[in-house]
Amino acid sequence: MLALVLTMLLVPPQQPSDELTRSEELQLAREEKAQHLEAPKRSFMEKGLYEVKERKLVERFQAGFHGFHPLIGGIAKGSGFGFGTSYEISDRLKASAQVSMKGYQKYEVVFATPRFLTDRLFAEVRTTYRSNPEEAFYGLGNDTREETRTHYGLKDRSVGGHAGIRLAKNVKAGFHAGLVDVTVDQGRRSRSPFIGEMFELASLPAFDTQLTYLRTGVFFDVDTRDEPGNPRDGGRYAAKWSSFRDQNLGLYNFGQLDAEVQHYIPFFNQRRVIALRAKATVTRTNDDQTIPFYMLPTLGGSEDLRGFADFRFRDKNLVIVNAEYRWEAFSALDVALFADAGQVASKVSDFRIRDMHTAAGFGFRFNTAKKVFYRVDVGFSREGARVYLKFGNVF
Amino acid sequence: MKQALALTILITFIVPSALAQTFRADDPVWVDNDAAIDVKHVAKHKLNDQYDFMIHAFGKPGDRVPKRAMNINTLGEVPDSSWFQNRHALRRMSVEELVRGPNSGNGPSMESPWTVIGAKTEGITPGFRIRDGRGDVYFIKFDPPQNPEMATAAEVISTKFFYALGYNVPENYLAFFTREQLVADRKAVMTDGTGRERRLEEADLDVILKRVHRSQDGKYRAVASRQVYGIPLGPFQYFGTRPDDPNDIFPHEHRRELRGLRVFAAWLNHDDSRAINSLDVLAGEPGLRHVRHYLIDFGSTLGSGSVSAQKPRAGWEYMWEPGNALKRIATLGLWDKNWIQVKYPDLPSIGRFESEWFDPKSWKPEYPNPAFVNATDEDTYWAAKIVMAFTNEEIRAIVKTGQLSDPIAETYLADTLIARRDKIGRQWLATMNSFDHFRIVEGELEFEHLASRLDLGPEPAYQTEWFAIDSVSGTRRPVRREDFQREAALFLVELTSSAGTIKVHIRERDGDLQIVGVDR
Repeated sequence: MLALVLTMLLVPPQQPSDELTRSEELQLAREEKAQHLEAPKRSFMEKGLYEVKERKLVERFQAGFHGFHPLIGGIAKGSGFGFGTSYEISDRLKASAQVSMKGYQKYEVVFATPRFLTDRLFAEVRTTYRSNPEEAFYGLGNDTREETRTHYGLKDRSVGGHAGIRLAKNVKAGFHAGLVDVTVDQGRRSRSPFIGEMFELASLPAFDTQLTYLRTGVFFDVDTRDEPGNPRDGGRYAAKWSSFRDQNLGLYNFGQLDAEVQHYIPFFNQRRVIALRAKATVTRTNDDQTIPFYMLPTLGGSEDLRGFADFRFRDKNLVIVNAEYRWEAFSALDVALFADAGQVASKVSDFRIRDMHTAAGFGFRFNTAKKVFYRVDVGFSREGARVYLKFGNVF
Repeated sequence: MKQALALTILITFIVPSALAQTFRADDPVWVDNDAAIDVKHVAKHKLNDQYDFMIHAFGKPGDRVPKRAMNINTLGEVPDSSWFQNRHALRRMSVEELVRGPNSGNGPSMESPWTVIGAKTEGITPGFRIRDGRGDVYFIKFDPPQNPEMATAAEVISTKFFYALGYNVPENYLAFFTREQLVADRKAVMTDGTGRERRLEEADLDVILKRVHRSQDGKYRAVASRQVYGIPLGPFQYFGTRPDDPNDIFPHEHRRELRGLRVFAAWLNHDDSRAINSLDVLAGEPGLRHVRHYLIDFGSTLGSGSVSAQKPRAGWEYMWEPGNALKRIATLGLWDKNWIQVKYPDLPSIGRFESEWFDPKSWKPEYPNPAFVNATDEDTYWAAKIVMAFTNEEIRAIVKTGQLSDPIAETYLADTLIARRDKIGRQWLATMNSFDHFRIVEGELEFEHLASRLDLGPEPAYQTEWFAIDSVSGTRRPVRREDFQREAALFLVELTSSAGTIKVHIRERDGDLQIVGVDR
């Protein structure tokens, strides 16, 4: 090779008639290569990634095995890591079973028809059994102390469903109805004491009573979010009225209004988003009725008041506001700064801005354009810092 | 072995400009016959796109040592080959030819139903593979529902441009059809969303069509991409060579047409210009088979991101740039690049495409492309020259083939392409020594200053010096311009301006004068 280089360097700049033409030299180089051909090879890593994709292993995993699909993630607030499987009996009929590391269980059968009769009608029926053996309870009201954490076990069975109509592209309305049967017990042994060890059970409405409720109601939902799984524009404005009729004793009837407003303000080509949410739950009873403590709205945890524990506050009425400033770090990661403020009260008139519990923090949202698939939120409150590792978006 | 081969090629092909100029009898070479050796055994080799992303985003595959492109001739031009054909820039195409592009007909025959022989129902880009009444196979691709006409127009328009620029591209046609045009082949199988193969049913076609836009007359608009002739072998990489193709001897990252593709990709916003959107095909008859190299899939060009409007980041930043990501995180998003402020018109059939903020020099594809990274000023100059060959009328004629129903969108797209073209010209012609188009006319050396001819900047003052090259010693001696034909068989003209010096070699052969070398 060196000789060749030297030869080329030493050749005077002329038009040598006895020299190979450029085309002939290229042909020689090709003929030389033809003597040493080899098949393309894949590296170990490429082989692995190639097999995963070509054999569609991810799709097959997600699709499950003979109708069984894996379910991974929490199954209820405070359940800890859960796992299980669903089984697709048909396109519209599915059954699932899940357990968590804390012993929570959930079994469900769902029949869902996103469209029936016309494209505008939808309906769903489901029956569920849940066992939540470590539901946290800190007492009732907005001023409970962190040290009063106790727990109880909650089991419920329900059957019900909803049906509705798409009034417009982004507008749905409908009704829901069902029966729910609720039992409370001591739950499983835990680091926190049983509820009865710190609170007078007699002061906790319906503790020793197994209740069956007839639940009926209506809902209305306007959803203009651009991508519900990872919204950057638009909003969601929803309200749901539910009537709970005690079928056993007739002592625990109540009505509940849940309202939620989400609004997203994008700027800088949607690479920055101000995300706002306000949620309120208002319950109403007649004078001779009470609401079981385990049916009361709760506040705290990864979905609303971050920096406080799950179920930290509990009372008849609830309000929570969240504001997030989200910005894109790179294509698959958004970062967020958030501030939460919430309160519970026995009467709506008791809500006071000065009584709001506040928390703030930051989060990392791993996402695609269509959905946030994992988030890490760190919330700070007067009760310390909490880290939340969650599948899915907060709102 | 590979290094030795590369060095041999470097010496044989580009040594004239790298060292003292030597010219071979056949210089300048205008055809690189890289179909000369029959390709007997070549393997199909699919590429994994995640792997491709990883090695390019986190590594630096290929040779990154700065060097001149290896496959150019002594004029600095790219010879015709299985990769590239000099088309519009060197041999002007008529408007009819530009509009026709690579198409040999009118697309799939509508005289009888299409037989669907394959389908893709999963994912966000559904599509079919059909065989028409003539037996030709086409891939059918659709627009995203929220952006009717966008991806199909982008595909058709960009196909025409890339063809005229010189690349091998598939025949892509706009097709309009009703549900009745499709019949599922009884033997067709498809892979469903669960990764399992099963028989294709008529109902699967309905499922796919339900997810695509249908016009008021009940027709579906799609791109029918004709299957390329030959046996598909998988994509080519933008670095290295195919180890089983004897004709593939220039490392791809040092091929000028792949380096210069960076400029064309910037012009047309082809941010998806990566290996996965290329295709090698075994072409020719047995005994004369060779590998031809295609660019395919232009759905993510112009303002289209194939499945939605182009991402705001596209063209501005790689998917993964850790420095930028850290800065954004550390400054709570107060720091960012200018592209987040770019404003786009509300034209669903266009998506995100603009010219005001467009900066051809800083344009980037989705992740680093070794050939693009290696592009030198010479490569980008060569490409910019080709881009500037398109007149406003020609651009408008090609844009019209996208059949955008909104005339405002059509005008906007053409205007944007014209403005981006001019920015490319200003970037790489006006800032470089753009004396070009050297030719001998009636014994006189003629040339022109491209930037000034194209109104991109003033022509600088220049001077020429003439030299005769001694055929034995290689030494040069000054000659008078008017005497140069009588002094020797090889001459050098040095054209010097404030932008630098261009060396033009002129050879006398059989009484004729010939431009044999241009070195800028």
